[in-house]
Amino acid sequence: MAEEFVVVKDLHKSFKDFKAVNGVSFTINKGEIFGLLGPNGAGKTTTIRMLSTVLEPDSGDITIGGHSVRREAAAVRAIIGVCPQELALYEDLSAFENMVFFGRMAGLENKEARVQAMKNLELMGLEDRARGKVAKFSGGMKRRINLAIALMGSPRLLFLDEPTVGIDPQSRNHIFENIQGLQKKGLTVLYTTHYMEEADRLCNRIAIMDGGQIIANDTSRNLKSQIGPPDRVSLEDVFLKLTGRSLRD
Amino acid sequence: MKRALLITLNEVKLYLQDRGDLAFSLLLPIVTFALIYGAFSGQTLFKATASIVDEDHGVYAAQLIEQLDGIDGISIEMLAPDEARARLDNSDRLFVLDIPAGFSAALENGGRAQLNFWQRGNGGLEGQILSSIIRGLAEEMGKAFLITAQVSINVQGTGVTESQIDAAVQKYLDAERLTPALSMNEVVVGGTADLVNMYLPGIVTMYVLFALTMGARVIVEERRRGTLERLLTTRLSAGELFFGKYIAAIARGFVQTVILLALAYAVFGMFTPVTFLESLFIILVYSAAASALGLIIASVARTEEAANWIGTVFTMFMVMLGGTFFAVEPGSVFYMLGRISINSYANEALRKVIAEGGTLGDVVIPLAIFIGVGAVALVISRLIFKAVPGGK
Repeated sequence: MAEEFVVVKDLHKSFKDFKAVNGVSFTINKGEIFGLLGPNGAGKTTTIRMLSTVLEPDSGDITIGGHSVRREAAAVRAIIGVCPQELALYEDLSAFENMVFFGRMAGLENKEARVQAMKNLELMGLEDRARGKVAKFSGGMKRRINLAIALMGSPRLLFLDEPTVGIDPQSRNHIFENIQGLQKKGLTVLYTTHYMEEADRLCNRIAIMDGGQIIANDTSRNLKSQIGPPDRVSLEDVFLKLTGRSLRD
Repeated sequence: MKRALLITLNEVKLYLQDRGDLAFSLLLPIVTFALIYGAFSGQTLFKATASIVDEDHGVYAAQLIEQLDGIDGISIEMLAPDEARARLDNSDRLFVLDIPAGFSAALENGGRAQLNFWQRGNGGLEGQILSSIIRGLAEEMGKAFLITAQVSINVQGTGVTESQIDAAVQKYLDAERLTPALSMNEVVVGGTADLVNMYLPGIVTMYVLFALTMGARVIVEERRRGTLERLLTTRLSAGELFFGKYIAAIARGFVQTVILLALAYAVFGMFTPVTFLESLFIILVYSAAASALGLIIASVARTEEAANWIGTVFTMFMVMLGGTFFAVEPGSVFYMLGRISINSYANEALRKVIAEGGTLGDVVIPLAIFIGVGAVALVISRLIFKAVPGGK
């Protein structure tokens, strides 16, 4: 039986009268890539923020790697890496300086941080641009740095919040290969995206959120089979069937 | 603690990378100092233009004008009577010397002569000084006539001619002018220290408040670029982040003021080594208090614009109430209002040490106020600070 690395139970979070997350429960197995899909405003980012210790839930429990997010937030932060949807970089610093700085924040000693920074830059194909100022990088390069930073400190759980927004197919493919490579090394990944084919290609299981709740949670194939032959329907068909076709923002 | 210092170091690195910001914050104290130097130092010689209306055109009028022209720093401007009146009417001139017709004739005949001072109001500072100088010259001329008359009486019947008496008196007066029995020695020891003493503390404390605004922006910038939230998913605690930013803000304000004070030390010579170090200590503690207030702004402001706006209003309010640019009369309503500005305590403490020969022992109360304000502000800012709405 697969080992549950992330356990989320009956999670609630409101902002004044707005219920952003309303009774969300799911588990992510160790070494699994778990997709969290949903239209804008579904509650994905709020859920990730609670899992990554930035937001406190109003109620419910989250356990990551055996540590309670509420009671052992520091222990949780020691084993997670977050790649936010928006680029979170110091543009005036070089790629290497960014990597080393966040490595130190992740608890690495200076020497260790420098070694890991170069290793992760190589992984992202950016070793030649290590000393270049991030401000001068292309959008795709910045996205790869954004992801590389999340790997500093060798996290066991990686949050990837739409890591491929606005980049070319080559960079996207490079990121996919890296994520799959990391999964093979045992990394657990929580992945959100609006690109259904990405989720279909990468994720072992997919949860679809809407209105602050999880309305479906299964493998891509099983989700597809709910509305037709899995080989003939797409994940997008499933998504639109479950969440509707009305605009959200 | 180590991670907090890494945050500080990163802040310093970003600060050094931003050339515009760096130039602004390091050059501004130097530019300000140059302005202070230009305003309060340098030439101590009185310089003025004496506007003169000569209605006499006689030998003694010419002698008076020549003597006035011979004084260092004074230049002569000859005006016609109508022109002089017109200029006085429209305040183009505040003081004019009028030498009336018959001035020389009166002196020559042993009669009483008179000079007229035409002036607007009190003639202005320059006019008052010029009138004093002219009075001195006129007294000297009068003295020459008096001596000549007295000698003429004493040598009457001895065969000494009038021209011999005139020559002897003139020789005596020239010798007296060149090597006077009583002379004044002017020793210049730096710039106009009183004015520098009065304004420098206010300018220094104002700089610290500017740094407060910049410090407030630093956290908002971190939020804008998304790194604030990212940092809080690492092992860095919110407290460490806060402390790191706090130290960086103090350092920033402190460095600027060290430049300003060091220049004042070197050029105006207004410190002893001890008062210089005491002033630095006051500024350091004051920077700590101001930076903590900056963190409250950082915690409240959601955007850089908001941080700038709040910081600027706050700074101007504190500067105005704190008596930065003018002396506030103790006991006045303004003085009482100024007590709510930590600037007023900083200005008082610095003036006490720089201008009044006080020591740190004399400024214990302001220092205690800074520490108290800093501690309370830190606690408040930490309580209201949220990386994301509803978050930690």
